[in-house]
Amino acid sequence: MSELFDFSGMGAVVYKELRQILRSPFTLALAIGVPLLQLLLLGYAINTTVEHVPCAVYNEDRGPAAQAFIDGLAGSRTFDVVMNVSNRRDLIGAIVAGKVRAAFDIPQNFTADLLAGRDPAVGAFVDGSDSAIAQVAYGSAITLSGIPLRNLTAATVTPFEVRPVVLFNPAMRSANFFVPGLIGLVLQNITIMLTALAIVGERERGTLDQLLVTPIGTAGLMLGKLIPYVLVAALQFTAVLLGLRFVFGVPIAGNIVLLAVLSLSFLMVSLGLGLLISTIAQTQIQAQLMAIFILLPSVLVSGAVFERSLMPLPMQIFGYVIPLTYYIEILRGIVIRGAGVAQLWPSILPMLGYGVLIFVMASIRFARSTRG
Amino acid sequence: MNDPSIVLNTLTKAYGDRVVVDNVNFSVAAGTIFGYLGPNGSGKTTTIKMLCGLVRPTSGDAHVAGFDVETQANQVRRAIGYMAQGFSLYGDLTVDENLEFYGRAYGMSASAREARKRQVVETVGIGEYMQYLSANLSGGWQRRLALACALLHDPTVVFLDEPTAGIDPVARRDLWDLLFVLASAGKTFFVTTHYMDEAERCSSLAYIYQGHILASGSPDEICSMPDITPVDTVRYGIATDDVMETFRQTHNLQYLRDATIFGRDIHVVVDRRITATQLARDVGVDASRVEPVRPSLEDAFVALTRKADAA
Repeated sequence: MSELFDFSGMGAVVYKELRQILRSPFTLALAIGVPLLQLLLLGYAINTTVEHVPCAVYNEDRGPAAQAFIDGLAGSRTFDVVMNVSNRRDLIGAIVAGKVRAAFDIPQNFTADLLAGRDPAVGAFVDGSDSAIAQVAYGSAITLSGIPLRNLTAATVTPFEVRPVVLFNPAMRSANFFVPGLIGLVLQNITIMLTALAIVGERERGTLDQLLVTPIGTAGLMLGKLIPYVLVAALQFTAVLLGLRFVFGVPIAGNIVLLAVLSLSFLMVSLGLGLLISTIAQTQIQAQLMAIFILLPSVLVSGAVFERSLMPLPMQIFGYVIPLTYYIEILRGIVIRGAGVAQLWPSILPMLGYGVLIFVMASIRFARSTRG
Repeated sequence: MNDPSIVLNTLTKAYGDRVVVDNVNFSVAAGTIFGYLGPNGSGKTTTIKMLCGLVRPTSGDAHVAGFDVETQANQVRRAIGYMAQGFSLYGDLTVDENLEFYGRAYGMSASAREARKRQVVETVGIGEYMQYLSANLSGGWQRRLALACALLHDPTVVFLDEPTAGIDPVARRDLWDLLFVLASAGKTFFVTTHYMDEAERCSSLAYIYQGHILASGSPDEICSMPDITPVDTVRYGIATDDVMETFRQTHNLQYLRDATIFGRDIHVVVDRRITATQLARDVGVDASRVEPVRPSLEDAFVALTRKADAA
């Protein structure tokens, strides 16, 4: 047990690892560039703010009310009118062909019927393939019905009004929700991968025995492997944080120093998880497979992409097993809601606890596996 | 100097039912080169790993440089140098960086590192390659670098696991010359090898086969063991122009005990009563080409292995 907490030789391992990292600048550039690149790709791909839905219009009426409706469509953020078709068949055809996601059919005599108070109907067709787009398009299509009437009669009388107030993310931009989650995810992925090969790599190259005959202690080796990668991870964090602020324009509501300190703690936890894998795996391939085994479920249950409170209970509980879950809570708390330690400690404590646990487990596992 | 620097006492390692090293006893005198021989898979590396504290013995014990390998592992580590099989340094570090790393690993101060580095670099003569990536060195230089790393903290006992496997004959000879110089300065070397010429140069040897020590002692002692050339037999060397034909001939001899080809010679063990002249006539060579020979180490190990297999 005393050997487990023997930190001697840590400086030597840090020296060696740093030299090895710096020996290959391309690998280092990849390590720092890849998370930022992933953040950009995923951040733009996962965007549930439904805007600019391409739509087609068949205007059989050609009256002023029809024109007012079409102007309303074009002026909305939700729809972009990309096609005008000359018959009803083409309207549906455009959806089937995937050229548009919605189509509007303004029947003959629409303006006349409207002015005569005969409640004319505009046909709205929504492509249900993507449920998120469909729901928003459907909802927007209904609200659009008020536009022609208002414009024509200037009547704005409504019996009552609901004034909803959206806290924290007033524009309800989905980037504000997703990008912090993605930051947690990409940082976890790269850091686990960085250290997953650390020990098993030495084993496969035959350098491990040569290390173990020196007075380097177990904790010294483990921390020595970890520390240089914490520096790399700190650069990665800086890169994605700049991406969050300046590429996605997400404002950081809380204390940025707290964010940095807690992020660095999480990165150590995640690097430790990689190290643990590295002490269990017998080959580098095994290590990579184990890392993927951890990464995939953490995408789903950590709340990085999907809101956890909407998940079935077992999935929510499963989420508590993964350190990333806590970090994403912390990230969103600080970035979006401006939360501090007083509010976040229920996430901070388990995350730090995991860190210590993982490090001790990796050390025990390593000590067992090497002196058989 | 006469205190043994390595002592193995009923040392045993078993993985489940498979006993890899079985009840091994021997000792190695300080300041000598000890050769540990045996076929692949006979337990050589496992023995070394137990002595270096990399593998825990199942039973028995061992002392290295006066320290118990199990209970005083830390002291053992500081006292020994170890050169693993194959290239076991960091190919993506330079020669200098590898040395620097091992210096730091032993907690040496910056000034001590510089001084010791200069010393070992001079000893192994690797000075001009200091800034080379070690992956780009030839096999012989890689072994020298590994030796330099193993010597850096000035250990009293050095374990070398097949240090000359896969390097050219000149590099092999140079490395051995270096070992002699270092041994004469008081270091103890524990070396495994498959090369008989290297074994002949060791001060003492042990031969392990299937986990058992079949023989130990100086090369001369091993060659003159009664098991090698039984009392009622005599060993002749036959020089011949047609090795295969003569070898076939020897197998027709009623009195033949053993025959082994050594390059262009054949070593035979025959009944004691048989003279060189008679043997020459029976295998059809000139009498001048048959003479009694002292068994070589290879003869000894072949004989010991056959005897063990027969038992």
